[in-house]
Amino acid sequence: MSSELVIHAEGIGKNYRLYATPRDRLKQLFASPKRKYYREFAALSDVSFDVKRGETVGIIGRNGSGKSTLLQIACGTLRPSAGRMTTRGRIAAILELGAGFSPDFSGRENIFLNGYIIGLTQQEIEARLDAICAFADIGDFIEQPIKTYSTGMVVRLAFAVVAHVDAEILVIDEALAVGDARFVQKCMRFLREFKERGTLLFVSHDTSAVSNLCDRVLWLDAGRVKALGPSKQVCELYLENLLEAAQGASREIDAPRPTIARDRVAGAPARDQRLDVIQASGHRTDIEIFEFDPASASFGRRGARIADVRIEHPHGERLAWAVGGETVVVSIDVEAIEPLDSPIVGFLVRDRLGQNLFGDNTFLTSHDNPLRLAAGDTARARFEFDLPLLPPGNYSIAVAVADGRQQDHVQHEWIHDALIFRVETSSIRHSLVGVPLRSIGFDLLEPPR
Amino acid sequence: MSLPKQPFAVFSSFWKHRTLIVSLARRDVLGRYSGSFLGLLWSFFNPLLMLSVYTFVFGVIFKARWSPNESAGILEFAVALFAGLLVFGIFSESVNRAPSLMLQNPGFVKRVVFPLEIMPWVVLCSSLFHTAISLVVLALVMFLGLGALPATWPLILVVLVPLILFVLGISWALAALGVYLRDLAQTITIVTTVMMFLSPIFYPASAVPAGFRWAIEWNPMSFFVEQARAVLIWGTFPDFAGLAAMAAGGLAVAWLGLALFQHARDGFADVL
Repeated sequence: MSSELVIHAEGIGKNYRLYATPRDRLKQLFASPKRKYYREFAALSDVSFDVKRGETVGIIGRNGSGKSTLLQIACGTLRPSAGRMTTRGRIAAILELGAGFSPDFSGRENIFLNGYIIGLTQQEIEARLDAICAFADIGDFIEQPIKTYSTGMVVRLAFAVVAHVDAEILVIDEALAVGDARFVQKCMRFLREFKERGTLLFVSHDTSAVSNLCDRVLWLDAGRVKALGPSKQVCELYLENLLEAAQGASREIDAPRPTIARDRVAGAPARDQRLDVIQASGHRTDIEIFEFDPASASFGRRGARIADVRIEHPHGERLAWAVGGETVVVSIDVEAIEPLDSPIVGFLVRDRLGQNLFGDNTFLTSHDNPLRLAAGDTARARFEFDLPLLPPGNYSIAVAVADGRQQDHVQHEWIHDALIFRVETSSIRHSLVGVPLRSIGFDLLEPPR
Repeated sequence: MSLPKQPFAVFSSFWKHRTLIVSLARRDVLGRYSGSFLGLLWSFFNPLLMLSVYTFVFGVIFKARWSPNESAGILEFAVALFAGLLVFGIFSESVNRAPSLMLQNPGFVKRVVFPLEIMPWVVLCSSLFHTAISLVVLALVMFLGLGALPATWPLILVVLVPLILFVLGISWALAALGVYLRDLAQTITIVTTVMMFLSPIFYPASAVPAGFRWAIEWNPMSFFVEQARAVLIWGTFPDFAGLAAMAAGGLAVAWLGLALFQHARDGFADVL
């Protein structure tokens, strides 16, 4: 195994013995190896793959395809019945909810317990305790027994622990399915940062999360490797396979592809003609907007402070509910704590995976004529735009105030998840964002003569 | 079945995971009294109350005397009984809990990479804590009731070392087998109860008719009970040669027990 390989799996197989009654299990213990009182069930057969240092590999597959078994073998909690799994470096894992936690211990005691299990010393854990508690962010519950926690709190604590043990290999199994939007954003930020230095094995049903986060994907089907390759290709194959299973194989087109005419209307103001219909239907993009959270994760020199972030109607009322396609204003109030020569205020909309969707800042608008702020001044930046059509899910708006130029500036305050909004229903399903289309035509063509 | 390289593998995982063992043992001790008003004080009151009851029942009601010596007071039988039970308790508590150790912690077996072989150490440390408290109670009662402690008291440590090795070895073996044989937990409780009555705890070995001596002599616990009583109550030197032989035997049992445990642990996650 070269030093670059951190996980090396060679012909991994795992068979479970299924006994009809407990008595058969006892008989087998004393029987000669030739007699078999069990049926064998192969959870994994002949799975081989390599993971290099720093790679992120996703594992996808339907329920029961052997994903979790494979992860357990990688972590060393299960022995393969065939083949060999070699790993190099400290592994931290979130395999199942609350795994490795003792329900009667308090959150703090469980942090120590988990730390010892992973191999940290008492001093090392004490040094990390504050950071872990801050990441988990469950307040006084840290002193309560784990059995009083909600599932969301257990995941928070589990993630906080594995995020702080300096693991070289991180194994995450479906852990992000629970947990609120702000915490998922925090985890995604952590995973993106972790990818820079460590190796990540990531299991999820969410193929867009997998294809976005992972370099390569291993697709397991009934315990065998169905595909292993670049994440985009494998995820597409997998989705295709899921659809085929649901609606039968897709038919190949043998006739020449008919062209679909598109009307082109030039010059008219941007207006999606379907909007009126969509807005009146159940496909309307309904967006629920949550309150500004000034306590959300942030960084910066703090020479200025973000005082408030709102989504408003162009006339100025604060919105708690918006509809895709509507014109809205993102309004950001900043307060200068020290004098700022040429402040820039900006925002960035991210989806649930932490991908940057769109955003803008005041630099181009104000760079010829910068708005100078004295200490104590308050200024308001307003960004008016048509809300795009977004697929359902949680979104976050990061806002920032800086001083200087776009290329060379001092970040005074950057709040990661200043505002969370949730898209409840939408006509968009398969893309990151929908743009208002001017028109769509679909007409029968005269047959060519 | 491959044996660990050296018999001292028995101690290496204890040393490596000592913080984890101590912290789990502390939870085990505190967990027993969690929610109770007196808490840890129970582990002091419990032996004290038992010793008072023994004194009353055996000393006053039965008028039992350990030795035919007329000068022996009512306390003598009670402290002799107590010393025997205390030593036997180290054995029975660990051994009774061993078969269900893995079954009660499926999370440690299946979901994390956990040094499972430390679990018998955890139970042993927790029971040694209670033994230490009982020894304090015994010392207080003997000092106040009989006026003095024999100078051989510190030698109890020499008696306990071989016992601990035996207990660990048996615990490892039972913890491994208990995963596959669920009936073991029930069986072992009966076996330890029989062993308690077939060791000279409630009676002096000399009271056993010569024709039935074999019934208690097969039991290694008889030896440890007698040795503990020698140093704690009678103030005589223990049988050093016997203890050395027992220590060698204990080390062999511990080594074999650990080897069996390490061999069987691969299958734990499949069965639980």
